[in-house]
Amino acid sequence: MTAFLTWVENSAFATWVRESSSLWAYPAILFLHTVGLGFLVGLNAAIALRLLGFAERIPLAPMVKFYRVMWIAFWINALSGTALLAADATTKMTNPVFFIKLGFITLAVANMVMIRRRVFGNPSLDLSPVTGGAKALAVLSLVFWTGAITAGRLMAYFGPVSGAPGLKNKIP
Amino acid sequence: MIQTFSTWLHSTRLSWAVAGGIPWIWPLCETLHFIGLALLMGVVSVLDLRMLGMAKELPLGPLQRLMPFAILGFTINLITGALFFTGDPTQYIHNAAFGFKLLFIGLAGVNVILFYVTGLYRRVDSVGAGHDVPAAAKVAAAASLALWIGVMYWGRMLPFIGNAF
Repeated sequence: MTAFLTWVENSAFATWVRESSSLWAYPAILFLHTVGLGFLVGLNAAIALRLLGFAERIPLAPMVKFYRVMWIAFWINALSGTALLAADATTKMTNPVFFIKLGFITLAVANMVMIRRRVFGNPSLDLSPVTGGAKALAVLSLVFWTGAITAGRLMAYFGPVSGAPGLKNKIP
Repeated sequence: MIQTFSTWLHSTRLSWAVAGGIPWIWPLCETLHFIGLALLMGVVSVLDLRMLGMAKELPLGPLQRLMPFAILGFTINLITGALFFTGDPTQYIHNAAFGFKLLFIGLAGVNVILFYVTGLYRRVDSVGAGHDVPAAAKVAAAASLALWIGVMYWGRMLPFIGNAF
C-alpha cells in the first residue's frame, strides 16, 4: 500500500500539482474545490432549509432543477479532490480525518439522492405539508455536509498534515 | 498608520489566543468560515441562478425570504475573518490577494446596496413563477455570482500570491 501511495505521489501529474510554481497547479485546483463546495453544500443547504419550513412559500418542485448544478459541483470536487489527494497521497491516505471526511461525503451524497427520490419524486409535493420523513432527511443533509466541511478543514491541522505551502509549522 | 494599528492588534491577548495561544480557535474559525461560505453561496446561487433564468417556476418574492441565511453566512465570515486578521495582521496587510479579496467583497456589497436602493429589489420581489426579471436584475445577478466567486478566488490565493495561510 505504502509503495503504491508513494508511486502515486511521485507520478509526473502529482508532482506537478504539488510542486509547480504555476497558479494553474495546486492553487487553481484548490480554488475549484472551494467553488464546488460553495455550490454543492450551499444548494443542498438551501433545499434543506426550505424543507425545514424556512421561506415556506417557495414551491419545492422547481427546486429539483438545482440538482444539475449540484451534480456538476460534485464532479468538480470529486476530480479536484482526486488531484489534491494524488499530490499528497502518502499523508492524506494515512490521515484518519480524511476517511472521516470521505465517510461524511458518502452519507451526504446518498442522502442527497434519497431527497431527490423520496421528496422530489413525490407527485403531490407542494400539495401537502412537508412530511416528517422529508424533514428528517433535511436535518441529516445539514449534519452530513457540516461534518464533511469540518473534517475537510481539520485535515490541515490533525494527523499527517500536507497541503498549502506556508501552512505547515505555523499553527500548532 | 496601518502598520501601527496592526502592531498594536498583534500585541493584544486576543491576537495571541487566535494565533495559536489557544490552539483550537484557529481551526474552529476556519471550519466556521467555510460553513459561512456555503450558507452565503447557497442563497446567492439560488437567487442569482433563478434571476438568470434557471428554475423559472420559482417566484422571486418567496425566494428572497432566504436572504437572512446569506446575511448569517456573511456575518459568520466577517467575524471569523476579523479573528484571522487579529491573529496575524502582518501576513494580511502586505498581501495583494487580501487587498483584492476586500475589494471584491466591497464591490459585491455595492452590488447588493444598489439592488435595494434603486428599487430593483421591489421590482424583482413581484416577479412570479415563469416570468423573467428585468434586464438590470440579470446584470446584478451575473455580477453577484462573478464577484462572490472572485471573493473565493482571492481568499484561496492568500497563501499563494501573498504569504498568508
